[in-house]
Amino acid sequence: MTRLVTRDVVALLGGVLVMTRAVAQQTDARLERLDETTRPAVIAIVDSVRAAGLPVNPLVERALEGATKGAPPDVIVAAVRRLAGDLGRARDALGPGATAIELNAGAEALRAGAGPDVLARLRRARGRQSVTMALAVFTDLVARGVPVDTAATAVLALAATVRDEDLVEFRRAVERDIAIGAPPAAAASIRLNAAAREARPGRP
Amino acid sequence: MPPAVTPGTTWASLLATAWCFATVGECVAQTTGTMDVGFSTVRYDGFRASGAASITPAVRWDRPGAGVTARGSYLRFESGHRSLQGVVAASLFTPSELLPRGWRGEFAISGGGSRYADFASFWHAIGEARMHLVAPGRGAWLSAAAGRTSYGSSPRPVAVAGLGGWTRRGWLILTAAASRSFIGDTAYSDVASTAEVRAGRWELSGSVGARLASRGGGHGVYGQGGATLTLSEGIAVLVSGGRYPTDPVNGSVAGRYLTAGVRLRTATLRRPAARDPAPLGRPPAGADGDPLSGPQLEIESSSDGGIRLRLHVPPAAHSVELAADFTDWHPMSLERVAEGVWEVVLRVASGMHRLNVRVDSGKWLAPAGTTHAADEFGGQVGMVAVPPPPPPPPR
Repeated sequence: MTRLVTRDVVALLGGVLVMTRAVAQQTDARLERLDETTRPAVIAIVDSVRAAGLPVNPLVERALEGATKGAPPDVIVAAVRRLAGDLGRARDALGPGATAIELNAGAEALRAGAGPDVLARLRRARGRQSVTMALAVFTDLVARGVPVDTAATAVLALAATVRDEDLVEFRRAVERDIAIGAPPAAAASIRLNAAAREARPGRP
Repeated sequence: MPPAVTPGTTWASLLATAWCFATVGECVAQTTGTMDVGFSTVRYDGFRASGAASITPAVRWDRPGAGVTARGSYLRFESGHRSLQGVVAASLFTPSELLPRGWRGEFAISGGGSRYADFASFWHAIGEARMHLVAPGRGAWLSAAAGRTSYGSSPRPVAVAGLGGWTRRGWLILTAAASRSFIGDTAYSDVASTAEVRAGRWELSGSVGARLASRGGGHGVYGQGGATLTLSEGIAVLVSGGRYPTDPVNGSVAGRYLTAGVRLRTATLRRPAARDPAPLGRPPAGADGDPLSGPQLEIESSSDGGIRLRLHVPPAAHSVELAADFTDWHPMSLERVAEGVWEVVLRVASGMHRLNVRVDSGKWLAPAGTTHAADEFGGQVGMVAVPPPPPPPPR
């Protein structure tokens, strides 16, 4: 009896394993939109990234973006490959527990010019809170002309004490100051000081 | 702020000084004072225009082999905020007998600082060495600069390498230059070409340039133009405008501007030997993009928990589409809700998202109202940060 139960369990586990593997290997249907030159190369990158335990959705989306914009195959593949590398570096910096959204935001931040140490320090500063918005705000500030290290200093200083909504408000305030003529770095510093004054320990 | 004299902008004035050497004998030492009073309108990428009134006093002292410029600027913005800026730059050329015929060495320094609304300041200090090869009517140079720039408490190192050439044909001076800059974590390359014409009472200048291979310094093609009409020995009117790139040394962001003003001179130059290279009365910190001529995006929360994306486009538009990572880059048609206003409501997760829009099946564009970034496919993508949904109200 015991032997029969054991055999059934082993068979069941084997079946689940095979099904899981089959599902994992299944090609993302969205990639059918790519042309025949681009698709195999992107699928190969996606498979290797999946095997490494990294999220593949950002890669698929990047390939689709290139296809929608009519980019040549080699340009699409290069962009996907670059993003795959950035996702790996983001996970190294943010840790194995980082979510797919955090890794995607981390990859964008690395692309914007953040060093891996900035990502790691943000992870420590945010504790169990998501770093997604902090990374998004960092990337946005850099894109608006705030120097990389100034943006990193500002976001790191705020990350430990404020909520996501406050980070978004910080970004909006910097945006407003830039719009009225403040140099981006100065605007970020101004708002950093203002946000630091308004931060309340233990604010819910 | 008005442009500081930085490694990227000093070259033209120093070049003019070098040209003065080529025609030495025609140049004499002189001091010139000017006061520019003007009004600028400036527009940043994705934002509405902002105005500023400015007063810019400047003093130049020039003589063969040396030149010193001091400039200050006071600006009053629409918001009521004020800005003060000052910069001093000096250059010294090596004696002609020190180097082989046609070669000249040059050492230049510049330092400046600014204060914005009583609570933000920056400074920079740059030293530069150049080697000029000068012949009558033409020349070329190689340069290297180093220094520090600071916003608040953390100075960043500055290093710039450059090269360029110029030629003079009658009343026309043409130049071309390229440089690679490193400022802290930021690095970028600039290429630029300038034409200057002086004919009678008119001075016209135009430049085109591009920022390439940039990490944190922005990308793009830039161009500026300006005209100065001298009304009398002591008064001129000037108009300038265009787009210019981010300058991480003095903290100005890429921008688009239009300036009109009056220049009061204490003395007129005997020759146009060394003139300020920057467009006169350039606004405090630039503007960028093409927000009003292209689509403009507004994002707001909708009552059903979604995100309302509203695009303002020219009234003649027949179709407006959006493609984004949250549509899997499937073009999605927007609904026309008023003349020139199109919108769609979607469920979008919080975080950073990439999107583009197009009008009447035209080119995919990064709309104003988003942060523009290079998309790796030869164009630009708009990036938006969607905040997390607000917590439910307490019961």
